[in-house]
Amino acid sequence: MIAIVLFKAALAVYLVSAAVYIASLLGRRVLLARFATGLMLAALVIHTFSFAAWWLTAGEGPVMGLLETLSFFAWVMAIAYLALQLKTKTRVLGAFISPVICLFMVVASVGLGGTVMAPAMLRGTLVTFHVILSVAGEALFAVASCAGLMYLFQDGLLRKKKAGGFSRLLPSLGDLDRINHLCLLWGFPLLTLGGLIGSIWARIVWGSHWQWDPKQIWTLLAWGFYAFLLHQRLVIGWRGRTAARWSIAAFVILLVLLMVGRPFFQTFHDFL
Amino acid sequence: MNHKTAPLEIRERLQLSCGDDARSLTELMRLPEIREALCLATCNRVEVLARVAEGEQAVEGLREFIYRQGNLEREELGRCLYVYRDREAVRHLFRVASSLDSMVMGEPQILGQLKEAYHQAVDNRATTVLLNRLLHHAFRVAKRVRTETGIAGNAVSVSYAAVELAKKIFGNLKGKKILIIGAGEMSELAVRHLIRQGAGHILIANRTYERAKELAETLQGAPLAFDRIPEALPEIDIVIASTGAPGYIVSAEMVASALRRRRNRLLFLIDIAVPRDIDPAAGDIENVYLYNIDHLQDVVDSNKEGRRVEAMKAEGIIAEEIAVYEEWFNALAVVPTIVSLREKMEAIMKGELERSASWMKILDGEERSRIEILTASIVNKILHDPITALKEESRERDELPYVAAVRRLFKL
Repeated sequence: MIAIVLFKAALAVYLVSAAVYIASLLGRRVLLARFATGLMLAALVIHTFSFAAWWLTAGEGPVMGLLETLSFFAWVMAIAYLALQLKTKTRVLGAFISPVICLFMVVASVGLGGTVMAPAMLRGTLVTFHVILSVAGEALFAVASCAGLMYLFQDGLLRKKKAGGFSRLLPSLGDLDRINHLCLLWGFPLLTLGGLIGSIWARIVWGSHWQWDPKQIWTLLAWGFYAFLLHQRLVIGWRGRTAARWSIAAFVILLVLLMVGRPFFQTFHDFL
Repeated sequence: MNHKTAPLEIRERLQLSCGDDARSLTELMRLPEIREALCLATCNRVEVLARVAEGEQAVEGLREFIYRQGNLEREELGRCLYVYRDREAVRHLFRVASSLDSMVMGEPQILGQLKEAYHQAVDNRATTVLLNRLLHHAFRVAKRVRTETGIAGNAVSVSYAAVELAKKIFGNLKGKKILIIGAGEMSELAVRHLIRQGAGHILIANRTYERAKELAETLQGAPLAFDRIPEALPEIDIVIASTGAPGYIVSAEMVASALRRRRNRLLFLIDIAVPRDIDPAAGDIENVYLYNIDHLQDVVDSNKEGRRVEAMKAEGIIAEEIAVYEEWFNALAVVPTIVSLREKMEAIMKGELERSASWMKILDGEERSRIEILTASIVNKILHDPITALKEESRERDELPYVAAVRRLFKL
């Protein structure tokens, strides 16, 4: 149960960090943002410990149920953001990412007590890898779309020649585009690999790589979207506004799949 | 002529011939009506400041001179020229020196250029009392305007704003390539800011290649032929245009095709020219950010009112200083009369003393010198009031009837 206590502590610190980030954005204070970054780092450490504790007590891979998945999702986002923050010095991005992290954490905490365990046949190392890789990829896409959203904000402000005030707080277009690019570049192989492992596992369990499962179809759609976007980026030289819009659109598709799609479809992935 | 009245081609042609060599100055001084002269030639203006004997004739002579220098059609050039006389000329000089007449109000280079032009004139003995005094006064006015109003901050913050925007767009300016179109006063200032931020690789395009080369040397960049701008554009991250040519130099199609070739990497266009150098439609292209001088000014201070107030303050200072100058100038007009009046009186005194020298021999040295002092003080007492009246008149009125009266009464 120490895992749950740690998890709740992490959630609390994430929430405070998000609040401070938003305060820094509204109050236009860089110092606050720096403070918020420290808070997020602390939250991440606690969060990591909660995973470790879970792993030790449960004696298996931590990412098994929906709630753990969401928690893991938030964890990857926090890591990705903090790493990018080191690389590009764009603290304000936190104001957009930390609420998303909090959202995932809150949803994860709601049903934390009664964990939905996956059916016995879906347990195993391969599944764990499948879930970890896919979720990590999706978390990176989430960061990419946050950066994309900020890009659109900043682009609009600069286009309307309102470079003072609010715009001063947002990171530069170049940095946001780079974050978007990096997250896509890292997220895509992760998601691809996760999907491949999943399909291999499916072959072992069900004897076929493809089951026409709604979630599979949906994921493939989003994957195709991202593949197209990445291709356009690398080959045609898409960047800036168009790239930002596409990465947001692609992530919305993923979200729909993750959140809304579940109640409406019967799926093998029901437990996730 | 300046950037408001003359298109770039004419300015550049004149600027080259009037520009750096002293030949034009000597030629100018050879005109019969010219007493003193100074030739100011910058990218944005070509002006001759002269004290002349016969007003209209001299102006004609100056026009002839300009036509000859520019080697241009009278008709064409005539439209671009402006002539200021007397007080208006002084006002214009003060405004130019204080950078109120500049393309970007408050830019600092014009004062240095004026000083250089003045030194050149001094070296060529083209100036005497009047222009010396006037120019020094102009420098003082410029200094007052600089320290007492916020005008100077304007140009600095405009170029600073350009750099801030570039940072907003690119994040890091290290290694960004800059293209300057039109070797102007303001673009140089902005580029220096950008270089300090780590921007590398500077290309300078100018209609006249020589000037591009000159500026390229001072900025450690490379000159670029004017017609090769479209070829260079795909490599460029930041463009600063300030030519003041009549039409667009950079078209929207040019930018669009450059962007395709640079695979949509962001492009920041700064157009500080009036009229514009870059087609505003280019700003609608994705990943292109186009700012003109008004936008930059707006970034600097969102209230135009504040800028207008500062300009008004500066005009006030100039009006004040014109009054000070005129006082001196008018006093200058009565000075010869006063001097000759004194000379005449002293001559009379000396003459009378000499005539009395024969009978004064009976007096001893000390008594004689006392008489000399006595007569001198009588002359001074008599002259005191009329001289005071003359000086006062010079301060209060433009015409000087007393001067004429004194000259007639005393047959000066």
